[in-house]
Amino acid sequence: MSTENLAVADPHWNLKHLYEHIQYAADLELWTIPFYMSAMYSVVNRSAEPFQLIQSVLHQEMLHLQCVANIGNAYGYRPKISMPVYEGQTIPHLDFNLDVPNPTQNYQPYTAEIGPLDMSRINAMCLIEYPEWDSATQPSLKQNIKEYANIGDFYRALRYGASLFKDRIKGGVNQVNYFSAYYRLMPGMTITENGNAGFNQVSMLIDLITDQGEGSNASQGNDPLIANFQNTADDPEQSADHFEKFEQIKNNTSLQDTYAFKPLSDYTDYDRQLIEILKENFNKLRNRLDALFVGENPDDFIPAMVSVGAAIQNCWKNGVTPQFS
Amino acid sequence: MSVNKVFRIHPTINFARIGTSKAYYLSPETSAGLPLAGSATTGGLPIKPGTENEVIAATDLRDEDGYLKRQAARFRLYYYELDGPDAYPCPAKPAEVVKGTTLADGRVVKDIIWTVHLANKKAASYNVVPLVGINAFQDGFPQLRNPQVYGTTGTVADPIRLRNLVIDPGPRAVSAIANNKAKFNAKTPASYCSNGKIEEITAYPVTFPAGELHYPAGKLDSLGEVLTDEQGRLLVLAAHGHTAAGIDEYGDPVPCTGDLNNASWYDDAADGPVSATIVFEDGSFQEAFNAWVVCCDPAYAPQIRNVVSTWDDVYDTWVREMNLQPELFDAESFNPAFLPAFESMVRPVFRAALLQRWTVNLPRMAVKAHEAVDAITGADNPDKTIMAGLNFIRNPNLTGTPQSEVNTGVPLMPLSVGDAGTSFLTVTKTQYFFLEQWSRHQFIDGEGQQLGKGEYLDMASLSNCLGGRYVPGIEMSYIVRSTDIYQQDWQTTGAGPFRLKASPLNYASANKAPFLTAGWFPLQEDLSGLEPGDMTKFMAIPWQTDYNSCSIHQPSINTSGVNKTNGNGTTLYWSWPAQRPDAVYVSNQVVNNVLPKQQWAIRGKGTYSLDTKSASTFQKANQSVKDWDKLGIVVQGTVIGPDYDPDYYLEVQNQFDETIIPDNPALEWPFNTSPSANNPI
Repeated sequence: MSTENLAVADPHWNLKHLYEHIQYAADLELWTIPFYMSAMYSVVNRSAEPFQLIQSVLHQEMLHLQCVANIGNAYGYRPKISMPVYEGQTIPHLDFNLDVPNPTQNYQPYTAEIGPLDMSRINAMCLIEYPEWDSATQPSLKQNIKEYANIGDFYRALRYGASLFKDRIKGGVNQVNYFSAYYRLMPGMTITENGNAGFNQVSMLIDLITDQGEGSNASQGNDPLIANFQNTADDPEQSADHFEKFEQIKNNTSLQDTYAFKPLSDYTDYDRQLIEILKENFNKLRNRLDALFVGENPDDFIPAMVSVGAAIQNCWKNGVTPQFS
Repeated sequence: MSVNKVFRIHPTINFARIGTSKAYYLSPETSAGLPLAGSATTGGLPIKPGTENEVIAATDLRDEDGYLKRQAARFRLYYYELDGPDAYPCPAKPAEVVKGTTLADGRVVKDIIWTVHLANKKAASYNVVPLVGINAFQDGFPQLRNPQVYGTTGTVADPIRLRNLVIDPGPRAVSAIANNKAKFNAKTPASYCSNGKIEEITAYPVTFPAGELHYPAGKLDSLGEVLTDEQGRLLVLAAHGHTAAGIDEYGDPVPCTGDLNNASWYDDAADGPVSATIVFEDGSFQEAFNAWVVCCDPAYAPQIRNVVSTWDDVYDTWVREMNLQPELFDAESFNPAFLPAFESMVRPVFRAALLQRWTVNLPRMAVKAHEAVDAITGADNPDKTIMAGLNFIRNPNLTGTPQSEVNTGVPLMPLSVGDAGTSFLTVTKTQYFFLEQWSRHQFIDGEGQQLGKGEYLDMASLSNCLGGRYVPGIEMSYIVRSTDIYQQDWQTTGAGPFRLKASPLNYASANKAPFLTAGWFPLQEDLSGLEPGDMTKFMAIPWQTDYNSCSIHQPSINTSGVNKTNGNGTTLYWSWPAQRPDAVYVSNQVVNNVLPKQQWAIRGKGTYSLDTKSASTFQKANQSVKDWDKLGIVVQGTVIGPDYDPDYYLEVQNQFDETIIPDNPALEWPFNTSPSANNPI
């Protein structure tokens, strides 16, 4: 990472901190994609509400990754697309236990491991998108900058840091734009301007991420997304945020049927081949995302992205739990 | 067992297409969009007249005065020697029969007398009911068209209604050796083949729209014509796209306001049986198994393959309901041991997916995905492809169950609007089975079953037409899925599959109108066969208004106006874009093979709309009956000029006013109808 110390208004922040936050944002958004996608494709009924709600969230997580990369590139930082890790209860850069009151009490059990849509996963999904409790306090770096209580808190800090380096913003650098047609009321999905005008765009994209994700803060209830941030094409509940959608799934009396899956010990050679194909596809996707965010135009980016979903579905249909690394 | 020596006309169903020119080209004998050995040009293109199979160039689409050429349906005759019950594909290798052919048994063909009877019963039939499709005939009948013509009973069979509303010029017979022509108008006497000779029917009760009528684009006085080529094959030419409107009590033409069922209107689409009598040198003669001709709209994008074509529906019906291939489907289920052939049974769906980009405003993201789909070969491991697990194909077997996917949109495919009562299209169950088998590695590479020459024509002809979405369709409608319309005894008679059953007509006694009856209707357990006009009567009247309006829709157009999709109800989708292009790349706007912005396929004066739902459409239906021939045709770069990328399919030969710089290029999908469901802050 190429960073430099820079004297700014807030001595706690330097450009390195901003870059770190952008990278953490990319890590977090990327992490959700295989996790949500695997849970979604485990649902047998593709028309069922849980499948459709998760799919709508998943598409927005892809959008969020694009937004983070566009913000990063505007500041001269290219997020790296690292292999996400799915272990225990660890979700990158979030520590739900820091929240007051601690929301994990309401979302037990939960797991960060790849698997079918069950109560453990839907709880984890709710926690990831859990609203910030108090947005009135001054955002600042945590003592341990890798740990925020919730995603809203994290992005508030990112916005704060970004605001300190407006003069670093250069519009039109390696900007990616795949989703505009799905958001007809959105002024734009890229950073095209420099300086203050560019920061307005950065701020708007952060608003987009947080509003779609956790929605307004918890004390304000379930306000609908502002119209500009609503998917105008294919969202079953376009005004609902991710947390609201996941809560809806959780609160359903019964979860949808998911594909039966085998224990690892029962895997055949063919099953293991399916896993290798998925890993290969996912690595390819990471590689293409890396290329995309440095301004290259990988011709097979879209097929690579679509093929990951196909490989996950293929795993579940054969009773195999997806693996990415 | 004795050998059954039979003659069959192929294609079993062929399509003559309407045009404003007296000139014509020949119906395609290849399958839309599929690769052809030894050629960079894909299938589906019409053929130059006077040639065996030389495809037309872009400059052949209109005559020197700019009129749109018609497509003649070319029928060929084949001789089969069947040794036992028939099967599909037919084990006997047929030989084409032309003037002078000596058959394997020594008989010499002296003449072929073709008889065709075209009629148009649209105005006398029932309304198209778009929300329920064929089920409109389940427990009764839809409302009659033109109920104001009551007759004495107000029923579909009322003789006064039939006499006034059916267009019936009678049959026409032509001889291969006489090389004569005959028009389906009121002046040309009706004729047919009787005992190996052409007989005129001087008293045939010809009926055409009569009285004071308004003709927006020329008098409706013919349904087409028939002639033979030098070899004695039959050519059926459609009419010129003329329409007629009644005059209201104020002396004005009845306005053409609707899409499907315009009262007091007539068009010159038609259909009817095609028969052939083979006359031998020794004076004997033999009848061939009949075919059917449908005269319908122009092919505006002949190489753009429908994801579900009429062939797919007809084949699916024959496979699942008529025991076509017991090795594939036996009694109640598909045979899991059947191995579909990649090139002929799997790849057409992949190919069709790619080709849609040339007639709709797909975003680059979708184009890239479709390119990857089309790149799949039979040598690929299905699990490693973008289609692994059939993750993006709507499963037709779930329709009618709680897991139904007919209202579930992207990323499930096909993306276009579905059949009556459904938001989105599904492939047929047979298509899906083939895809499933491929997905399970249960397939073979290559073309697979070898069709006979005639059988190939049957498939190719139908594969160039719209399937899946029959609301009501444009060439033929949902009745292609009714087993009652076909010759079901094909295995024992030697008729072969996919052949419509013609109701016998006694021309010797044809002297009083109406000669034709109301004819066949679905779900009535009627196995008596079809009369002339019984296929096209299920189509819109006039066809131009349906063509015009079937561009871009909210899926709720099929579901009583209620959005049943999983997405925004304002999102727009395409109706049947392979047959009715919505957005096109105009060839003369291509620079150095850089594609220009897409334009709406119908554009120019009278087409501008504030609401994208009505884009690519003549805003007034009346214009559609006058200007339908102004549209361009989408063809492959290979037939446009040497400088064009052979992978491009571009619009050529439009007659819009191109001096006006277009300011409303097609929006990238997804796009929404206005006003949007959302209000910006």
